[in-house]
Amino acid sequence: MIQPQTHLNVADNSGARELMCIRVIGASNRRYAHIGDVIVAVIKEAVPNTPLERSEVIRAVIVRTCKELKRDNGMIIRYDDNAAVVIDQQGNPKGTRIFGAIARELRQLKFTKIVSLAPEVL
Amino acid sequence: MAVSTTTLSIGGNTFSGHLRQWEPQDSKLLKKPRKHFRWLCLNELHLPRFRTKTSNFNPARGLLPSLHAYGKEADDAFLSNVNEDTDEMFDDLMKKYGKVVYRKNDRKSQSAELDDDAESLSFAVAMAKVASEVKAGDIRVLFVKPLVYWTRFFIICTAFSFPQIDAIGSKMRDLAEKKYGKIPSGDTKPNSWTLLDFGDVVIHIFLPQQRAFYNLEEFYGNATQIELPSENQPPFRS
Repeated sequence: MIQPQTHLNVADNSGARELMCIRVIGASNRRYAHIGDVIVAVIKEAVPNTPLERSEVIRAVIVRTCKELKRDNGMIIRYDDNAAVVIDQQGNPKGTRIFGAIARELRQLKFTKIVSLAPEVL
Repeated sequence: MAVSTTTLSIGGNTFSGHLRQWEPQDSKLLKKPRKHFRWLCLNELHLPRFRTKTSNFNPARGLLPSLHAYGKEADDAFLSNVNEDTDEMFDDLMKKYGKVVYRKNDRKSQSAELDDDAESLSFAVAMAKVASEVKAGDIRVLFVKPLVYWTRFFIICTAFSFPQIDAIGSKMRDLAEKKYGKIPSGDTKPNSWTLLDFGDVVIHIFLPQQRAFYNLEEFYGNATQIELPSENQPPFRS
């Protein structure tokens, strides 16, 4: 459950380290974002000398949430952190590699590019 | 004794697999036929042991080591508690119900899997041929099934302009729909990294710059590369 003001880790090598959600994209007044949703975020912390800088506004896809993800078969996935992957307007990831495990739901939500860069898909 | 030990370890393994499936959905447990409960009762003494093993049971990685430790533990329990009659009973039960339990967990037979592989391969080669017809550069077909579970083949190719990406994408879509009845998900508009997801075959069309940037071939460096029959010309790189 990601909402505006939520801080997220960054799960890629784009150069951002920490994001803060400032808007959930979808319906108007949408309250929460879950795995596979796109948010608008601001970079709160960035690695020095990288293309992305602090206080830049970017789009990101949520790839891990502390809130459980339920599947139809009864499986429940819950991660230890909230994490997102920085993307551009066309949906291409800004980084070249993804870190950590991600859920296969991203593929159904047409983020196969992120899935194909990930080291582990649950 | 040795025979009975192996039987129990196999039984225990399938059994633990089942417990894992039941855990999230208690309602499923109720639907199971009664015979499983009989099996549970028979194992009453070792049930706590099974439970502890189940918690760290991981079908992808931990199967073999846990199986091994399992057999050992089961053996110890056996020596202390169970006599010959129960061994036979376990064997009988294994013969009667073991296979049913196994079939539940099994997904596809080996031959069906191979057939699917061959089908995907022919589809992938056809797609790669389309790409080479539209003059895509440096076409690679990678068999990534051993590395990732979610697909079988990757096709990676370079196009040199957006109109060319569009041409490759639309030609592939047309052929896939007409000949194979598959409709891709993924990008519909040409993009600097255009991805067509056909399920078992995933096609990546890059601009040269993006191809170097994402460097997918290196990421999937352990995948076996499929040689293309028509690919005799040297790779064309800008």
